[in-house]
Amino acid sequence: MHTRLSSLSVYVHIPFCRARCAYCDFNTYAGLESLLPRYVAALCREVELAGNRWGDFSLATVYFGGGTPSLMTPEMVERVLNALSLAFCMPPDVEITLEANPGTVDGHKLRQLRSLGVNRLSLGAQSAHDAELRLLGRIHTWGEVVATVQEAREAGFANLSLDFIFGLPGQTLERWQETLEAALGLAPEHLSLYALTVEEGTPLWEQIEQHLLPAPDDDLAAGMYEYAEERLAAAGYSHYEISNWAREGYACRHNLTYWHNEPWLGVGAGAHSWLDGRRWANLSHPEDYIRALERGEMPVAEHERIELATEMGETMMLWLRLAEGADALRFRERFGVELEAVFGGELAELCEVGLLEWDGRVARLTPRGRLLGNQVFLRFI
Amino acid sequence: MHPSHIRDFCIIAHVDHGKSTLADRLLELTGTIPPHQMTAQVLDSMDLEREKGVTIKASAVRMEYTAPDGERYELNLIDTPGHVDFSYEVSRALAACEGALLVVDAVQGIEAQTLANLYLALEADLEIVPVVNKIDLTAARTDEVALELAELLGVDPDEVLRVSAKEGWGVERVLEAVVRRLPPPRGDPAAPLRALVFDSHYNPYKGVVAYVRVVDGALVQGEPLLLMSSNTVVEPLEVGVFTPGMTPTGRLEAGAVGYVATGLKTVRECQVGDTLTTVATPATEPLPGYRPVKPMVFAGLYPVEGEDYNALRDALEKLQLNDAALVFEPESSQALQFGFRCGFLGLFHMEIVQERLEREYGLDLIATAPSVAYQVVLQNGEVLRISSPADLPDPATIKEIREPWMRVQVFTPADYIGQVMEVVKRRRGIYKSTEYLDNQRVVLNYEMPLAEVIVDLHDRLKSVTRGYASLDYTFDSYRPGDLVRMDILVNKEPVDALALIVHRDQAYEKGAALVRKMKEVIPRQLFKVPIQAAIGGRIIARETVSALRKDVLAKCYGGDVTRKRKLLEKQKAGKKRLKQFGRVVIPQDAFLAVLRLEED
Repeated sequence: MHTRLSSLSVYVHIPFCRARCAYCDFNTYAGLESLLPRYVAALCREVELAGNRWGDFSLATVYFGGGTPSLMTPEMVERVLNALSLAFCMPPDVEITLEANPGTVDGHKLRQLRSLGVNRLSLGAQSAHDAELRLLGRIHTWGEVVATVQEAREAGFANLSLDFIFGLPGQTLERWQETLEAALGLAPEHLSLYALTVEEGTPLWEQIEQHLLPAPDDDLAAGMYEYAEERLAAAGYSHYEISNWAREGYACRHNLTYWHNEPWLGVGAGAHSWLDGRRWANLSHPEDYIRALERGEMPVAEHERIELATEMGETMMLWLRLAEGADALRFRERFGVELEAVFGGELAELCEVGLLEWDGRVARLTPRGRLLGNQVFLRFI
Repeated sequence: MHPSHIRDFCIIAHVDHGKSTLADRLLELTGTIPPHQMTAQVLDSMDLEREKGVTIKASAVRMEYTAPDGERYELNLIDTPGHVDFSYEVSRALAACEGALLVVDAVQGIEAQTLANLYLALEADLEIVPVVNKIDLTAARTDEVALELAELLGVDPDEVLRVSAKEGWGVERVLEAVVRRLPPPRGDPAAPLRALVFDSHYNPYKGVVAYVRVVDGALVQGEPLLLMSSNTVVEPLEVGVFTPGMTPTGRLEAGAVGYVATGLKTVRECQVGDTLTTVATPATEPLPGYRPVKPMVFAGLYPVEGEDYNALRDALEKLQLNDAALVFEPESSQALQFGFRCGFLGLFHMEIVQERLEREYGLDLIATAPSVAYQVVLQNGEVLRISSPADLPDPATIKEIREPWMRVQVFTPADYIGQVMEVVKRRRGIYKSTEYLDNQRVVLNYEMPLAEVIVDLHDRLKSVTRGYASLDYTFDSYRPGDLVRMDILVNKEPVDALALIVHRDQAYEKGAALVRKMKEVIPRQLFKVPIQAAIGGRIIARETVSALRKDVLAKCYGGDVTRKRKLLEKQKAGKKRLKQFGRVVIPQDAFLAVLRLEED
């Protein structure tokens, strides 16, 4: 007997932005919004092709990420959702998230999106200080964040997530505390707090290289993280993943698919998929992506077969990001071998240095381990 | 060719003053190399030389020149190494000549190496033709530099040639001066053969090829030869001249410069400075000045990947075929595992060897800080030669430690005398004398331990004199000193490869500076890492590398899984040598920290 996977998560990538943020190295492009209509048609075509192959899956979650998905008109979102429901089974409790940038949506648009079935909104707030927002190259102010949250609530969004970044060049602990308080003041159901990673080649990286900005201080960022853990726990949020907090019942189901290392389908330029033991990536540039689909071809750029040993390591890397940790029983169900037999040595070592708790049934990062996750993950890779 | 129509000469110059470019022009002008075959700086055959703009090995070339009066001459140009590490090789190349072109940059003027090599040339009784080069540059101080040179040599300023080798200006006059002003070769064509070996290289088909200047007699292919100092018999496979390729002639007469393919396996058997004579009628005395090469500076070279150990040994053996000054023996270290203790003529030589190993043999190396060779006199009277601080025996058994001292010349504008004095004083230098070359330029003479010279003295002097100072040094003697071994402990464990020998008076200051520097370069670990300096078990300085606080990828979503895995794989590969927790990986920078104590 083998169990057939019945549910699937779909990620829809929208690789367009009004302007590139100073820290961003994602697959996104400014000034190409005029491609959107053709791009949406290509998305629908890709969904259709995927449905031919995996159409008997039922969709658990849909996530519009970017880039800036809120640059799409509600009609465009509707076309994609229609294509998805034609290609797959779409149950009523499907989680549909859309990432939005404050300043690109208004009350009217939000109401339309809500009525299309979008039931979770993820807002890139990033900071409650306008000076920090400018440093990051964001196109909005904190005032616009507050207004967008208000409008989203009025439009009926009961599941709202806010993203923030800490550890900015020159940022003090006090500044960060103020941002956190302002965030809590908006009472979101979900919070993602990311330590700034200075990615090579970004404008921010260049400024730091040229000593125009101080490099972020990792020790200070660690302090900010610990402060956030404490403060958000007190405010009733559960710290369910290294960078994510949620009120009871509001953990992001879509992202949990990734962290459980369960299958997902990514559509859109540069999107990745993980299905049938294979991981593949689409062509990154939207024009290449559109042209491939206009010719009726799959827009795949790279393709990798994940060997079982690699999958075990990746699974540990992802499971351990979660507060629930790596469960020995689930490991055995999935791989048919004991966790202890595969990674016993690593688990013991990591316990000994205090980065991991391991009681023979579940392995979890310790608070220190959460800040030193790479030191843990690399033992499993 | 009759000796009266032969000239054997060399070009001496400071690094970058245009020696190689001038040589190129001479080759072109005499038609030795047709212009279309000219690659820049023909005489520098190794890539590294071309890149560093420095001649490492001497080489020689024969040119045919027809003077304006119609007489034909054979000109032998012997190129000399341009770095202080190779001063013995320079002296032997000079001994093969009767004259020298002294080339000075019209912008930079006379520098320490110019002088040092000039003194060597004068000691070798060479006739000097002064040349000011680079007169095409806008910043050229041609008249001034010509005057300086004239004063230095006690000649009329008009005798100083003014050229731009780059533009080809005045080069014809250089050839005329070589013929007119330099004497023909000395030596006795009728005496038993004496030929000076002034360089050599290894050729896989012909064995060691010795570069020779025939002083007396004639060298004939087919006659068994004897290397007088090493007492090695050689059956020459081939005898010829460089034009500049090797061209067999079967015979070299007195005054000629050429080569002998010896068939010997390594250049150590045929050392620079040795004299070739015939087995049948040997000369009674070798030519003067032979000195076996002796490495002065030692360092451990270790492969980053343990499995490269054999490849490193093979590469060192190959380099040694061509480099009589390079010595090595296996060494093991707790910190770095298995490698080789290597001996070099100086820091520059070390740098070249390391670079060649990395570049030509693709090896990834860790080098320990260079050390000098100490003489350790034990209580029982035995004398040990120690080239690694880790080998120093128990202090209780030691009666005395002696270290090599050098005679050091610093050439600097007079404005910087104070700063130079300060740098030298901090390095235990003993001031001897000051010579004014003119009212702006001085030569300061010091005696100083070699151990202090190799610790970035040159860079420090450059930095306190805005790049003006230049430096030359030669070995003087071994002298006793109050020297102690300083151990460096990382995470409470002494790291053998970091141990160093210091003067007791400097121990505290050096120890503190060193652990401070080490703190900057040792990456943070999962635990606190104390770094300590100790003498005989007593801690004299300490710093702590605080524990790593944060190392985590903030974002990991679907699209990232492969990328994040690869990032982690890379991070893991970087730590490959760290097999378990608890061991601190010490990066290359830490081993060289001792060289950079005064940087900030």
